[in-house]
Amino acid sequence: MNEDMLRYVVDYALSLGAEYAEARHQVDETSAMISRNGRLITLGKSVSDGVGIRLIYKGVLTFSATNKLDKSNLIDVVKKSVDRAKALTHLIRQPAKFSGDAVGKGSYRAYMLKDFHSTAVDEKIKFLEDLHKTAVNTAKEVKVPTTYCEYVEHIQKKLILNSDGGFVRSEVPRLSITFNLVLHHGSKGTLQRLMQWGASGGLELLQNWDPIRSLESEVTSLEKVLLHGIEPPKEPIDVIVGSEIVGLIVHESAGHPMEADRILGREAAQAGESYVKPDYFGNYRIGSKYATVIEDPTIPGSYGFYEYDDECVKARPRYLYKEGVINEPLHNRSTAYILRTTSNGSSRSMDYASEPIIRMSNTYLKPGDMGFDELIEDINHGVYIKSYMEWNIDDIRWNQRYVGLESYLIINGELKDMIRNPVLEISTSSFYSKITGADRELRFYPGTCGKGEPPQGMPVWFGGPNVKLSKIKLGGVGA
Amino acid sequence: MNADLLSINESILGKLRNSYDESAVQINEVNNVMIKIVNNEISLKHSQTLYNISLYLVKKGRLFMLESSTSNISELTSLVERIGSYAELVQESELYAPLPEPKPYKALSNLFDNKVLNYIDNSAQLCELMINSAINEGAQRVSGTLKLSIVSKALTTSKGFEGFERGSEVVSYLRAFKNESSGHWAYGGRFVDLNSIEYVGKKAAQYAAFTKEVVEVPPKKYEVILSPLVVGNLMELVATMASSFYVLSGFSIFMNKKVGDVVASENLTLADVPRDVELSNSTAFDDEGVETYDKEIIGGGVLKSLLHNSKTAAKFSTTSTGNAGLISPKPWNISLMPGDSSEDEMVEETKEGLLITNNWYTRLQNYVEGTFSTVSRDAVFYVRNGEIVGTTRRVRIADNLNKLLRNVSFIGKKQYLIKWWEVTVPSKVPYVMVKDVNITKPFD
Repeated sequence: MNEDMLRYVVDYALSLGAEYAEARHQVDETSAMISRNGRLITLGKSVSDGVGIRLIYKGVLTFSATNKLDKSNLIDVVKKSVDRAKALTHLIRQPAKFSGDAVGKGSYRAYMLKDFHSTAVDEKIKFLEDLHKTAVNTAKEVKVPTTYCEYVEHIQKKLILNSDGGFVRSEVPRLSITFNLVLHHGSKGTLQRLMQWGASGGLELLQNWDPIRSLESEVTSLEKVLLHGIEPPKEPIDVIVGSEIVGLIVHESAGHPMEADRILGREAAQAGESYVKPDYFGNYRIGSKYATVIEDPTIPGSYGFYEYDDECVKARPRYLYKEGVINEPLHNRSTAYILRTTSNGSSRSMDYASEPIIRMSNTYLKPGDMGFDELIEDINHGVYIKSYMEWNIDDIRWNQRYVGLESYLIINGELKDMIRNPVLEISTSSFYSKITGADRELRFYPGTCGKGEPPQGMPVWFGGPNVKLSKIKLGGVGA
Repeated sequence: MNADLLSINESILGKLRNSYDESAVQINEVNNVMIKIVNNEISLKHSQTLYNISLYLVKKGRLFMLESSTSNISELTSLVERIGSYAELVQESELYAPLPEPKPYKALSNLFDNKVLNYIDNSAQLCELMINSAINEGAQRVSGTLKLSIVSKALTTSKGFEGFERGSEVVSYLRAFKNESSGHWAYGGRFVDLNSIEYVGKKAAQYAAFTKEVVEVPPKKYEVILSPLVVGNLMELVATMASSFYVLSGFSIFMNKKVGDVVASENLTLADVPRDVELSNSTAFDDEGVETYDKEIIGGGVLKSLLHNSKTAAKFSTTSTGNAGLISPKPWNISLMPGDSSEDEMVEETKEGLLITNNWYTRLQNYVEGTFSTVSRDAVFYVRNGEIVGTTRRVRIADNLNKLLRNVSFIGKKQYLIKWWEVTVPSKVPYVMVKDVNITKPFD
């Protein structure tokens, strides 16, 4: 990566009158395998290598991206960017400005204990075959008509310079697996599960994840759901929400509504706005004392790991909700300026061609101090929803729905019959207010979060403990 | 430009000939700008000048893909060499079929609007048109996007196919707010159509400003009128599920169905229309160099065709439908054929129902069975005895896609050109009325 080239770009933009300039050279390389029913369909590689340039000229914020990296083209891109900004200055009432944060100088990387190249391709293909065979062989009374798997190794390198003195170099490898499983029974129909694994690191992650064992367990449980699952209870009951769903809920209903750009309306026509208003911070109660949601990019080995954001601001943990009160939103330097604070380092870009915007990293609900057995021991009649497929939430992050997959009836403190498709359809305040307990086991799950225009998919973790909600009315699919 | 890109293709192909049995090279040269409008002013001017190369490589029936967004040819060459070294370690793909022999294709004209070139550097007038048309219609604030693109595409295959196209695209969408209400509209096409761009602001504001008493609607089954934005979102899902690769992979309601089965109401005809040059994915040839043609996916309620490339076609013992995708076939442009109802007539026909003007976050519990839900955003109107009598907010459709298709009762006679964040395949879609749609809301 050519530091001199980026410095030239920044200096040249300033020489044309820009108040701020930033240049980011980003290279993303992936190696991917797609298999169906255990057989490799294709092996693919991709490389994305270019420069993203952001500048402010007379209050107009512009972002330009190019993968023609010769000097004359870069000069042309900066010039065009300034010219295009000039043509829009009359439409600006609130000039774009950044908060006066102390931007950082540094470099960081995530390490692979076992390099992607340390295992031959044919062994990786054998692993994909084994996943399929595990699914098929574990199913006893149902058929597995289709499995589909995507295996992706990704290395992301960035070098970022800005006119405020920021300089950050980074390298993060990531591994992810997505596995789609369809179970079929002649009279009971089908059931579908999408399993995902993802983290930063190398092939050592496969050993930690042990996907074969997870898959055995999933197929065993889901077969029972398909064959024997009963309707969920209709009356209000205590519900244990599994950590996989708790993680998704905090991502959707704490992480997203606490993105300051969304709160200020910048995503209004795309990802939407937020129920949170700027005067809520530090005083608006959204839930019980258990409602502490933390956003932490610095978790080593996490899927959303970074140490500096793309504006060169040092990353740190943020408490979005603290003991039930709305606390601190995710900021970049633009929203921090508008709301008269400092950035907390939340600005990231998917690739060189995408503008840096406020993104989550690793979002989780703070665990409690109970064991799982303690959590359910006083429930006489309840439901435990462990996993899900369908979910969605409205554009202000208030009205949300999660449809359970592996789910159990709880009778007298013990897990009993399987339940099919219980629906948790709930408002944000109800969810966080009805938490009456959490166990101490914090688990994380990977996801690709979508936001922005053009849309940017960002690797994130979301997680939490298993939590207990009191007196919840569940629905059923089609009910 | 034509000759430039094709000669680069040819030089890359030349290097591949000795190492691979078959190959295809596609270069997309992209020049676009996107202006983001937030609260009635410009928030960002976003420009991209990109050069994307896709390589499809075959060695002894093994399939390799290489996607590159770089102008660094040595980086690309090194990847080509590395990928080739895997050939002995990888098994033959179940989807392998030889690349098609080249045949003449009928080129499409009118893919490019020169006006896009001018507006790329001077987009203020179009932004002002969007903003002002909404404000003049009663909106208090607006946010949205204007995107102008020029894409050149060159495809060369080792079988001797050569094709080049240059096209333009205009996408405009706007969300208008008035007090607690909002409305949204979108336009996506090949051409700078000032009337359509103005209509985006006007229609979004009309929905935002259409004030009626706010009513609470209980969760139950309703007759539902879906705006073209909602129809576009759902029909894109259906058309994508018609990709035979989605069928093979367990992501489709058509997995357990066959061509000839009744899958929808008899008044519903959904087509893939790559040769409709008003829509911005129009193309004369697919990614394998096969000539495209317009086709019904669902015709009169009957499943007429899945979407195929030559590989899936071989697997299904049929012929390519000109929808490659080198691995996964894809719909180019979507058209839900118009019916004979006006929007007002649909409202008049409604005993008790909802007019849902926009949606997002469509997710499935089970792709094979089609159980899904989607959340409304922006205006939702409550209709009783043929009249809009109230507004309500943020309801959810939680139902089954198969049932929804079968319960379509009326289809509008006017199609709208839609593309935006939640409708990514360019679509020509009318309003649609569906009976017995399950509407849910949070229990707590």
